[in-house]
Amino acid sequence: MARNKLYLLLFTACTAGYFWLFFTYYRVVTLAREPGVCLIKRVTGIPCPSCGSTRSVLSVLNGDLAGALYWNPLGFIIVIVLLVSPFWILYDVLSHRNTLFNFYNQTELFLKRKWIAIPAILLVLLNWIWNIYKGL
Amino acid sequence: MEAQKVDMFIMSNGKYFESYQINGIRERLIAVDDSKWAMISTVQLKDPTVSLIVSILVGSLGIDRFLIGDIGMGIGKLITCGGLGIWYLVDFFLIMGATREKNMQKIQQLLY
Repeated sequence: MARNKLYLLLFTACTAGYFWLFFTYYRVVTLAREPGVCLIKRVTGIPCPSCGSTRSVLSVLNGDLAGALYWNPLGFIIVIVLLVSPFWILYDVLSHRNTLFNFYNQTELFLKRKWIAIPAILLVLLNWIWNIYKGL
Repeated sequence: MEAQKVDMFIMSNGKYFESYQINGIRERLIAVDDSKWAMISTVQLKDPTVSLIVSILVGSLGIDRFLIGDIGMGIGKLITCGGLGIWYLVDFFLIMGATREKNMQKIQQLLY
């Protein structure tokens, strides 16, 4: 993937993520309705591996780290990506560098290794089982 | 490389690439040395149709992106529930092109 395409995609995803967060925050606070757009959950009734990550991110925003861990540990990754990537993209674009792009490619190569990929897949599956057990 | 061999390769693997790339691949294949034939003829290319089927079935978990080797995008799709369902739908139309692009990258590594 080209550098600019990646940056554009990441930036769009972050913007959409922030909009989604504000929207859900408004819904949870003022309408007291629980968020839910997950296609898998709507169709099958079973939560998907990332169900609960919006609630997890909102818990982090409220300073409730234990709650965030309970809802979905993947929320921490989302918080980090949402916080770091806009600034990193801005830095790269302004200084005409490829640091984020190189980091992305290196992370991809790192995750492709068997002894990293298999435990990661197992962790995601365990998280999924936990999600179903919690009945998110 | 002999034109016959190259045409055989194009005929059997043409569906794995974009149509506008095929001419370039053909010319490049004719130009390269014969010793590369063993590697080129055994290279593992991903079928765009398979990735489309995977995308429709388990696309919201990002499996389609993992399949074609786009690990970063796959994780993105996985941890956002298929991009809140939007990315999942958009990828029905993008995944075949993305697969062909990955195939092109793979063959380029061998040819250039």
